[in-house]
Amino acid sequence: MNRNVKNLLWETFRYSIIIFGAFWMILPFFWLFSASLMTPQELLAFPPKFLPAEPQWKNYIEVVKKIPILMYYKNSLIVAISVTLSVLLTSSLAGYSFAKLKFPGREAFFRFVLSTMMFPVFIFLIPVYYLMKLFGWLNNYLSLITPFMVSGYGIFLMRQFILTIPNELLDSARIDGANELKIYLKIIIPLLKPALATLAILTFIGQWNSFLWPLIVTSSSQHLMTLPVGISRLSLAFSTTETQHLILTALVLQVIPTVALFLFLQRYYIKGFVLSGFGEV
Amino acid sequence: MKKSLENRIGAGYSFLAPAIIFYSIFFLFPVIFSLLVSFKKWNMLIPFTKAPFIGWKNFLDLLKDELFLMSLRNTLLYALLTVSITLTISLFYAIMINKAKFSVFWRFIYFAPVVTPQVAIATIWGYLYNPNNGLLNAILRFFGFKGLNWLTDPSTALFSIILTAIWAGIGGSMLIFTASLKNIPQEYYDAAKIDGATGFKEFWYITLPLLKPTLLFLSATGLIGAWQVFDLPYMLGRNAPAKSVMTVSWYTYETAFQYLRMGRASAGAFLLFVVIFVITLIVLWIFRKGGIKGYE
Repeated sequence: MNRNVKNLLWETFRYSIIIFGAFWMILPFFWLFSASLMTPQELLAFPPKFLPAEPQWKNYIEVVKKIPILMYYKNSLIVAISVTLSVLLTSSLAGYSFAKLKFPGREAFFRFVLSTMMFPVFIFLIPVYYLMKLFGWLNNYLSLITPFMVSGYGIFLMRQFILTIPNELLDSARIDGANELKIYLKIIIPLLKPALATLAILTFIGQWNSFLWPLIVTSSSQHLMTLPVGISRLSLAFSTTETQHLILTALVLQVIPTVALFLFLQRYYIKGFVLSGFGEV
Repeated sequence: MKKSLENRIGAGYSFLAPAIIFYSIFFLFPVIFSLLVSFKKWNMLIPFTKAPFIGWKNFLDLLKDELFLMSLRNTLLYALLTVSITLTISLFYAIMINKAKFSVFWRFIYFAPVVTPQVAIATIWGYLYNPNNGLLNAILRFFGFKGLNWLTDPSTALFSIILTAIWAGIGGSMLIFTASLKNIPQEYYDAAKIDGATGFKEFWYITLPLLKPTLLFLSATGLIGAWQVFDLPYMLGRNAPAKSVMTVSWYTYETAFQYLRMGRASAGAFLLFVVIFVITLIVLWIFRKGGIKGYE
């Protein structure tokens, strides 16, 4: 009996703690959604309002008209999809090479790839910007895409997955006369699908949320602005009061794709996330 | 037989070709170029070869620049506080949620900020921190406290940014802790029960020692990431007086792309790299000294 009471107390304590934390985690999101439906007056009201008197769904129409959010969306999509496709291709090719093909310098180059991940991004800003300027790419998508086309983490992840594929499978294909390209296309890629899904969603979300590099590159070419840069400019420019209340509406539209992607592909995302946490240990 | 080996050498290098080309252009060149720039006075408007070589002056100027020293102090404080508090809270919550009902649901809620753009998080929290009609001050006032000038008071601005960073980071390390907790064999706890161990003793003598490698790894990656923090301070620190929440990364960005002092910015980036390198070495050293053995 005593034990049961103790257990009940513990469980009550535990779930109150969990719910208390969850409340604080949800609150900013809930407030964002609620505020995205407020009038400008309600947003500035004192004391602050938690819910709009009447949801202003028209904010979502207004935001498309007054803010070039569709252009930001298009740019973000083009960049995130191009980078993701490129990373999938280059990582799986390099991963196969590192995991299953023998050639001189393999171990050294693999260690080099791992060590590149340790360098802070700030060392690369000036030289890569300079390169983009030299190439004349600052006013097109190449400046946003090319610096991210290969990922050290992606190569590492693909290598780890490909190592688990049995060598016998590849050898029997070789005996049947398949060359390495055919093995890559017909055996490795189909077996790699779950791993590719993991890498794709990690890369896509990373790019969708990426801020610093697009901020630097698009400072001179506004037509390339991605969602984070566009929205940060709006929220930092306090002069444009007529669009202030629309920033939150725009934010909801920016947050929805990644959170939805995560919700539906949680399994793949978490796998990659946890692997990134254990990979080097 | 020999032919097939040769073929594989060819395939090996050709499959790596994209990576090799990429790393030459976007890694080797930048690292060398950046090092050269840090010894020059250059604004990117004149050709690089015409920029004068000024030796160690950029590094010396940095160490004399009060703004840079303040940004170092801020970043150190930010990194230490954010990482230690985030890890403590997320370990606590990982243990609470482990084996709880609806754990997938809780995990989703706690993890949502990790996939949310930092720019969006900063903007939302910027509204929540508003001293007049922000939600946080409304809550404080409701409980009879005085409202705070979260982001505009130099004594609280950095801590407000840290608070947001903790909120945004808990879900990530919680997920890693949860995965490690699942790897601890149930027999350990069963054996401890027989010996009469209670909840806290279980945690102290079984859970914590076995989580040591995870804890170390998360501290290392957390510190490395925190030293490079940009989005949150840049977005939230705008209205703090006299740039009092400037971080090293923000300083580097501003020096390079607003004041066009490429030499000094490169020098700053390299000092940042040295700090990160030292952290990595220390962590590797701790690992070798027996961190890993916790698992065996």
